[in-house]
Amino acid sequence: MASSISTAVPAPQQAAVSTQDELTQKIPTQPLQVTKRLEKFKTTIFTQMSSLAIKHGAINLGQGFPNFDGPDFVKEAAIQAIRDGKNQYARGYGVPNLNSAVAERFKKDTGLVVDPEKEVTVTSGCTEAIAATMLGLINPGDEVILFAPFYDSYEATLSMAGAKIKCITLRPPDFSIPIDELKSVVSKNTRAILMNTPHNPTGKMFTQEELNAIASLCIENDLLVFSDEVYDKLAFEMDHISIASLPGMYERTVTMNSLGKTFSLTGWKIGWAIAPPHLTWGVRQAHSFLTFATSTPMQFAAATALRAPDSYYEELRRDYMAKKNILVEGLNSVGFTVFPSSGTYFVVVDHTTFGLENDVAFCEYLIKEVGVVAIPTSVFYLNPEEGKNLVRFTFCKDEETLKSAVERMKQKLSKK
Amino acid sequence: MAEMEKLSLVAKALTPSPIQQLSYLAQRYNAINLAEGFPDFPAPPHIKNAAVSAINSDFNQYRHVQGICDHVARKMKEMHGLDVDPLTDIVICCGQSEAFAATMFAIVDQGDEVIIFDPSYETYETCIRLAGGVPVHVALEPPNWTLNLDKLKKSFTVKTKAIVLNSPHNPTGKVFTKDELEIIAGACQTWNILAITDEVYEHITFDKESHISLASLPEMQKRTIVTSSLSKTFSVTGWRIGWAIAPAWIASAVRNIHIRITDSAPAPFQEAALTALSSPPAYFDSLRSDYESKRDCAVNMLAEVGFKMQFKPKGSFFVFAPLPENCTLSDVEFVEELIKQAGVVAVPGCGFFHTTLCEENSSPAALSYQRRYIRFAFCKSEDTLAAASRKLSKLVDDGRGIK
Repeated sequence: MASSISTAVPAPQQAAVSTQDELTQKIPTQPLQVTKRLEKFKTTIFTQMSSLAIKHGAINLGQGFPNFDGPDFVKEAAIQAIRDGKNQYARGYGVPNLNSAVAERFKKDTGLVVDPEKEVTVTSGCTEAIAATMLGLINPGDEVILFAPFYDSYEATLSMAGAKIKCITLRPPDFSIPIDELKSVVSKNTRAILMNTPHNPTGKMFTQEELNAIASLCIENDLLVFSDEVYDKLAFEMDHISIASLPGMYERTVTMNSLGKTFSLTGWKIGWAIAPPHLTWGVRQAHSFLTFATSTPMQFAAATALRAPDSYYEELRRDYMAKKNILVEGLNSVGFTVFPSSGTYFVVVDHTTFGLENDVAFCEYLIKEVGVVAIPTSVFYLNPEEGKNLVRFTFCKDEETLKSAVERMKQKLSKK
Repeated sequence: MAEMEKLSLVAKALTPSPIQQLSYLAQRYNAINLAEGFPDFPAPPHIKNAAVSAINSDFNQYRHVQGICDHVARKMKEMHGLDVDPLTDIVICCGQSEAFAATMFAIVDQGDEVIIFDPSYETYETCIRLAGGVPVHVALEPPNWTLNLDKLKKSFTVKTKAIVLNSPHNPTGKVFTKDELEIIAGACQTWNILAITDEVYEHITFDKESHISLASLPEMQKRTIVTSSLSKTFSVTGWRIGWAIAPAWIASAVRNIHIRITDSAPAPFQEAALTALSSPPAYFDSLRSDYESKRDCAVNMLAEVGFKMQFKPKGSFFVFAPLPENCTLSDVEFVEELIKQAGVVAVPGCGFFHTTLCEENSSPAALSYQRRYIRFAFCKSEDTLAAASRKLSKLVDDGRGIK
């Protein structure tokens, strides 16, 4: 990548080149490089594990997406939209019908009435909602509080926004919020708290008491809350509560969600952010420069999906609870310490009884010797050491697959 | 206001576009829309069928369709003679929009300067700012939007990290020539900077003009990130399938950012992209010839209304028309009148120009041309263009014209 640098390299100049002939002028001698912000972010653990899994023919209970497909009525709506010619740019912040459907669903779920035109923004998945929220509302140097373990893109996007991360670790067995510790990290530079409930990877759901405590803290210190609620319909042991619905909270909360988990269509990339107009404005600005618009036919289909009757959601929960039972019983019988998971389609377990030195070593062993994939949770912590005893399994797979995986573990996993 | 304090500095600096107001006006007058840069005719049936088939075949979970990379690599070889490794050098993104944004985040650090040619599509500047960079605008010179080497050289400083090149060009329809590309390439090498290209109109060129990718010039592939998409070539702007092509060390950085911004482009449309990208040469030939006749129609239509079409677009689906000399209205005022009197809407050019240019003479007089251009889109059906033509002719026949 070296270009021709003249032998006489002058000191860095302020003024630009002034004559046509001086083509071999100075250049700063830095080699071309990618940004500093990327130093921490290499290929994700998911990609690595998936490649290893394919090589060994392992059953993949690592990836957080279903091996079964979404409901026909939603797919047909997308097909109809394509045939009806809905293939050009949608309005940047969402197709009106979808914005309305999102607002209607939110009202059913939380009782809050929001303006679909001013308070709902459609994004390419919840991942983009998170990125747009950070970039639109966080300034370099702002402190943001995060709970570990956390979905791995949070750290990356916070870093892209130049935020300083203050991390609170949730610990087994119940991963409850250490409220006093949380209070102690709030400073005058704290801008926001980023939370995820139901929680990936632990399956923990924030309780009313915990939400009340977070709410008081936010109101007292004038903080924002960014709440990732993609698994809200996979709530098994208790009801999901949106923090935006607590008194004094809507005006300072961005609630994020998506179609993918609820309707088993993770590849469609339809997500949204709900927030009061002044916060929505920031989210929309960033969004319009990240992706400009979201896939049009899928938005039409999403509007249909979100108007599904309650029976759809009940059946979804029943199906997932049956899957969860298969996995949890299996994991227990094999000898893992299984931590209670109230929501999401994840379960976190302690693997140490099998004698491997850490979570990554255990996952590699599990793939190669047993033929099952789990995700090492150390990647979900700022300090990987904190996660080394835990691995995450997912049960968003059909029952046959789950039973086969359990069988393999029963046969081949041995305690040391 | 306390609420505004919650926004980031970048978000606060952005203002709503004046185009919004014109949209409302256009709706009220039921105006024919020659403003929006997307087709009003259907996407090709074989591609839509491929998408439908993908949805029915359960291609609906997160995926990366490697076949897209294979096709894109093949096309780069066919069109530009470039050897691109489909396994490492290509990143599939949610449209060229996301490819560009991810690239900016991958290569722009706080304070890095990035050169953009003026006029330009407004998104480039904002992406650069979002990533902490400083946009530096270099004016192309009317009436033919020529590249001035002096102006270009004056824009480089120790902080220059990269240059953005959009060709074929929105809004002017200019296609950068080989000579111009050589100048830009020379500057990139001299100053050891990266180049990011936006080539979304790569298949829409006229008068036997070929699109040349900057990356295909000697020594440029290793420092260029090419971005493009399905959108304009296949009339599916709403599908959000695009890509970035770069040497592996940059592509992997762009990929890592993309994964954190959206993680995956819509799966069924990735699958349909395989069909699109396998379209035979005849598809591209007829795309070009269809758009060429639309261009001719648009240029004629505007000439009849009194525009002096000195510069005809050689690519893209836009005409950037200068207001007639005797017209005393500004571009925005003209567009308002066009909506009210002729029922046709276009985009005032001011949104594409920047007044802080990197050169000595930035006086209001020298910059007056920035309020004298209107952008018309001709990515419209023959019926739409014919209707627009009729309405504009009527304006002339009625003896009104727009003053």
